[in-house]
Amino acid sequence: MTTPDAMTTPDAMTTPVAMTTPVAPPRKDPVVLIGKICAWLAVLICLLPIPLVIAVATTRSWRQGFWAGGFTLHWLSEGWGRIAGNFGYSLQVAVGVLLIDLAIGFPAAWLLARRRFRGRRLASAITTMPIAIPGIALALGLILTYPGLRPSGMLLVAGHVLYTTPFLIGTLTPALGNPKLRELEQVAVTLGSPGPHRLLTVTVPSIRTALLAATILVLTLSLGEFNVSFFLFTPIEQPLPVELYSGYVTNRLEIAAASTVWFLIMVVPAAVVLELAGGAKVGQA
Amino acid sequence: MWLGFPLLVMVACLLLWPLGVIAVRSLTFGTGHLSLRRYADVLTDGDYLRSFLITSLLAVLSTVIAIALCVPAALYLERTRDRLSRLMAAAMTIPLSLPGIVIGFFVILLFGTTGVVPVTARQVFGNSFGQLAYTFTGLLIGYLYFNIPRVILVVRGAVAEVSPEAIDAARTLGANPMHVYRRVIIPALLPSIASAAALSLATAFGAFGTAATLSRGYRVVPLDISAAFTEQFKPELAATLSVLLAIVTTAILVGVGRLGERRTR
Repeated sequence: MTTPDAMTTPDAMTTPVAMTTPVAPPRKDPVVLIGKICAWLAVLICLLPIPLVIAVATTRSWRQGFWAGGFTLHWLSEGWGRIAGNFGYSLQVAVGVLLIDLAIGFPAAWLLARRRFRGRRLASAITTMPIAIPGIALALGLILTYPGLRPSGMLLVAGHVLYTTPFLIGTLTPALGNPKLRELEQVAVTLGSPGPHRLLTVTVPSIRTALLAATILVLTLSLGEFNVSFFLFTPIEQPLPVELYSGYVTNRLEIAAASTVWFLIMVVPAAVVLELAGGAKVGQA
Repeated sequence: MWLGFPLLVMVACLLLWPLGVIAVRSLTFGTGHLSLRRYADVLTDGDYLRSFLITSLLAVLSTVIAIALCVPAALYLERTRDRLSRLMAAAMTIPLSLPGIVIGFFVILLFGTTGVVPVTARQVFGNSFGQLAYTFTGLLIGYLYFNIPRVILVVRGAVAEVSPEAIDAARTLGANPMHVYRRVIIPALLPSIASAAALSLATAFGAFGTAATLSRGYRVVPLDISAAFTEQFKPELAATLSVLLAIVTTAILVGVGRLGERRTR
């Protein structure tokens, strides 16, 4: 007996079970209860590591247990000392990447949102590229093709641009395609507003949430990018995640945790803002 | 049309041309003749086949567990829709913003030699256990961690389409919860479960950061690529493995996604 069929047969509704048992309120329904348990379990898994990282980073001698030897900010200051330079460099890279992404991605998103053309589906398939092709394969392709660009750091920027532009396009395209915005622009046209002026005073303000989301997305993706960066960084200046990685392999747990705390401070609040501003996007692991 | 020109240039120079270079390098031998010999070598090499097997196992297991956990969780989030469940949903997206290496470090922090679990176990029970960061289980936990938000994100949107009436009716008719999941909820969500699985599998196959941080023993394909290039100085071998891996991830995304579409017709 399949349940949906049984629902539609009238005699099923007249069985004593259906008559005497009232419909359970959703919260006490075991189906929802299982969901509740799973949801809390998932939340626990996702959040638990964060307080633990903070606890280890503020414990004087972790091997003896939680806050053994007392609470200390020593590791946090030492961790910051180790990553400050890398953070500065990564931030520079991220801002450069964002500017290039906007120059490439904004016009492309405009086109995808507003024009029908042959190859449009192929063009929008670009937004799934960063998941379809592993970062390490992208990086290998870049380093084998342009080995001469690596020492200048240009190749690292190129790799980040390649990885992040699809996310920018994916965030801006729906906003630019919004019918209400198109109407507003038509009104501006009939009022005689010239093209560039219209772009700056009508279009850009209307999509500011999407622009903010795209900005946060590109900056945080670039700051945390490891898979593409691993082959492309220069020996002189290492991006933040590469430094974190070598810390994980060599440093004692307290320092590694402290550096991670700083990284989480930079990225997690931004991620929460992003989720509230219109939903998170999926990158590589 | 000129608006698409910058993107076209980027895709051509930074994506297509380099991928072409990898493909050619993987096929070219000394004097310039082409052969599939490297592919034959890799696909008959026990070590590389083992890597592909371990990678597949990690990808499939982490995907199955993530789906089993996240389908009911998404259903709950969609049916309660209060302030708390919105916060829970936001919490579940946090792993998306973390690079693989940080996720790998979380596993070390919890289950490493001096991780939270072994240290606490020694204090409470006198002997330490749970040092599984560098085992298969440790890798699996890391992979599960980054797949949970991916599955939630894809399934959550689709859960709204499962009619609460169908679930309540099935319950009223005496179906037990497992039955409701098997007969009502999962069939209705099949297309989105398929695309969640595709995303989760492809991410797991390509995951490098998590595996690199936890790589003392278990080899996965992205680590083999990195080792071939940086340790063995064999770019052609790295190129061959990269082509194979990219074929696997793309095939999963296209193939498994299609599977879901077809079943709904």
